Amino acid sequence: MISKKVALEVLNIALETGGDFAEIFLEETLSSAVIVESGKTQPVASNLNFGAGIRILKGLQSVYGHTNNVTKKGLTELARSLSVSFKGERLLEVEKIKKVRVNNKHKIEQNLYEVPIEDVVNPLKEADQAMRDYSPQIVRTQAGITREVRKIAIFNSEGKQIEDTQQRIRTMLFAIAMAPNAFETSYYAPGSYQGFEFLKTLDLKAEAIKVAELAVRKLDAAPCPSGKMPVVIGNGFGGVIFHEACGHSLEATSVSKNLSVFSNKLGEQIANKAVTAIDDGTLANEWGSNAVDDEGFKTKKNVLIKNGILKNYLIDQFGGRRMNMEQNGASRRQSYEFEPTSRMSNTYIAPGKYTPEEIIASVKLGLYAKSMGGGSVNPATGEFNFACDEAYIIRDGKIAELVKGATLIGTGAEILLNIDMVANDLKHAAGMCGSMSGNVPVNVGQPTIRVSEILVGGQGGKLE
Amino acid sequence: MNVKKFFALAAEQGIIESEVVVTKNSSLSIGTFRGELENYSIAVSHRIKARGIFNGQMGFASSKKDDKDTPSFLVKQIKDGATVSESDDLAIIFKGSPKYKRKNMLNPAIQEIGEEEKIKNLFLIEKKLKEYDARITEVTVAYEERVGSTELHNSHGLKLKENGSYFYYYAYIVIKDGEETKTGYHVHLDNKPEKFDIDTFVAKVAKNGLDKLSGKPCNSGLYPAILNQEVTASLLQFYLEHVNAENVQKGSSLFAGKLNEQVASKKVTIIDAPLTDNVFYSYFDGEGVAKFNKAIIEKGVLKTFLHNLSTASKFGVESTGNAVGGTGKIGIAPSQATLKAGKLSFNELLTKLCNGFYLTEVQGLHAGMNPTSGDFSLQASGFMIKDGKIDKPISLVTVAGNLFAIFNDILEVGSDSELQLSGFTAPSVIIKEIAVSGE
Repeated sequence: MISKKVALEVLNIALETGGDFAEIFLEETLSSAVIVESGKTQPVASNLNFGAGIRILKGLQSVYGHTNNVTKKGLTELARSLSVSFKGERLLEVEKIKKVRVNNKHKIEQNLYEVPIEDVVNPLKEADQAMRDYSPQIVRTQAGITREVRKIAIFNSEGKQIEDTQQRIRTMLFAIAMAPNAFETSYYAPGSYQGFEFLKTLDLKAEAIKVAELAVRKLDAAPCPSGKMPVVIGNGFGGVIFHEACGHSLEATSVSKNLSVFSNKLGEQIANKAVTAIDDGTLANEWGSNAVDDEGFKTKKNVLIKNGILKNYLIDQFGGRRMNMEQNGASRRQSYEFEPTSRMSNTYIAPGKYTPEEIIASVKLGLYAKSMGGGSVNPATGEFNFACDEAYIIRDGKIAELVKGATLIGTGAEILLNIDMVANDLKHAAGMCGSMSGNVPVNVGQPTIRVSEILVGGQGGKLE
Repeated sequence: MNVKKFFALAAEQGIIESEVVVTKNSSLSIGTFRGELENYSIAVSHRIKARGIFNGQMGFASSKKDDKDTPSFLVKQIKDGATVSESDDLAIIFKGSPKYKRKNMLNPAIQEIGEEEKIKNLFLIEKKLKEYDARITEVTVAYEERVGSTELHNSHGLKLKENGSYFYYYAYIVIKDGEETKTGYHVHLDNKPEKFDIDTFVAKVAKNGLDKLSGKPCNSGLYPAILNQEVTASLLQFYLEHVNAENVQKGSSLFAGKLNEQVASKKVTIIDAPLTDNVFYSYFDGEGVAKFNKAIIEKGVLKTFLHNLSTASKFGVESTGNAVGGTGKIGIAPSQATLKAGKLSFNELLTKLCNGFYLTEVQGLHAGMNPTSGDFSLQASGFMIKDGKIDKPISLVTVAGNLFAIFNDILEVGSDSELQLSGFTAPSVIIKEIAVSGE
């Protein structure tokens, strides 16, 4: 996108006033969405995002700017106007830039945009049809595929040039079912860091039937009861509980400033012994993976909690300065329009010794949250919430009636101690995570787990 | 990009009618932490959105790259996108409204104030917050401003331009009292810098956090309740998805077939008011149709759906100027929707309710609210109301209910309207009851 010579000049302008680190992040991302809605293919929209961000660090201060004008003139002007916010003598001169080889192991068989449009549209039409055929109560459906090819280049004052191309694909099925004066919805949205071959790994038609079936079944579900109760959380997207209750509070963004409930707690028991939690940006072809992070460092497998003991945080370069700790490949940003910061990638609870059946059988009266929606957290207090997408009452160790509208709330510190059984059926699921550096693709994951007690909110009154 | 060159190239490729929307923004943001300038960020951005009709279907494309190849990139994407489309939406490029309520919302005063003064304000806010109460242990303060324009051009010769600007101050505090931790924040958004008062702002941030101290869950049960302005405005935002004519026509609105029927409490009047003179003022929509103020629901009776050109044409009515130009389709959204204020002050609402729950904050709306069914179950905090007065703080409870039931059960509307960052305006309201789950 720019030459080494231009990069060198821009970096040295950025460092003119005493900055101790400078970086140029360039990006060109082509994304598009193909959607079939209630039988009709919608216009395919393509979006080209293009620009550069420049960052200068000096001790614990950072300045950042971005522009679409990725020319020598545009970048030198931006570097100059950023550098004036520091008032000092030059500390550093970059003399040479060397390209660092990126070992991108994520296998791509069929490039996302080298696919005939019929191959994209036809499976969607079939899935959309399957949802509508399921029942006359299905009144609106959508089946879609989004594709994104993201090319990035990073030049920094350590003399490094790092380039990478990332490809992501996600499919989405969505159905609305209707009864007189009531609607219910259901969806399915797996994603991968992969080429178009990802589609071959899915049975979209079968999944479409499941989506429609659940939407219709929810029409007759009773409102979820409320109060404190034991809850079994299903594998896969259930991992959003760890993501919200704990993951965000382990990011350097809040930890470094003492704004997290888990600041200064390395080596302490913060979770039940049954809990080992990992963030791994290296998993082959997973939705939240990358070969390098958005500062150009290799992604890593970071064990955050081992047998309940806090072992590590997620650390970006800038956050690490305040913590006196090394970055660990966890710096991410939505695009050049965001300054990077510490974020999760593929976060999961490691498998335990029980079978999912044993865990369900252990609960006399409680809730089985088979699949979860999203949630949010306040990292300073640890208070979090997340919504159930599909939930059942457990009676005498058996899965009983479907209930709707359940939300689980609590504090991270408390829930981590209450995860007292972990099954052996680990599964990952794709999601989007929004925080300071924008929306980034992440996986959440876990085996089936039991939380001994958590507050469940719903309209259904007391559980009996 | 040369717009004429784009129109010519598009026409040459069989895209006879087309439109280009160019948005330009420049922004500044500054953040401080522990008496130091921590973040400083500047940006200039430029985005071109284009759409056009090819073989009767609309195609869409957008680019932030602007070079000699941009027109041909956009034309190719529009053509490819339209070729596969079987959409029922009518493809219309608008010729223009008879009259537009133009207004320049660019306030140069925002950029005329020096950066030093903005930074000085941030340090002052931090200092005043730390001095406000010794239990305020950490303070993060930020300032952001944005100045920009949106220009719409189409092949019928329609040309519209809107300038705008805004700034905001944001502060976030962590409060520690023994083992207890609470947080508080406030945002002041405006386009008139002279209206920003540091002391008022500091007091709001501090109060937002300090009032939550010693908050505990209350007993589970059904409580008569007051919802504050922010909560009411959040619910209003989801409620109005059902007046979106596209949802009505595609079978996912509970208001379908209910025009001129009583759909909400008689206390409920909702106005769509894009021409209100504030930072959200806007006079043309995503298709170039003139925006205007109108009642959506009047005394509980549904008066209109919100339309773009395609949905309006299908219903044989005029567009209501609510089109939103997305990257893949023309959507529909309210513009400064407002729940009309009543006569009772907040204190009069308290007296009237006497005993119940005062809901001041909900969390996790993106997940705990199902906009299609209207059912919600959300993390919440607030206060108990005892004998007409605010009593002990409540936190870590959930509230659950249904949007349609809530708007049916509004018993009183307060006079304390407040514009929210979302662009929605609402006063505090009394509702018959809400299910609270706690101890």
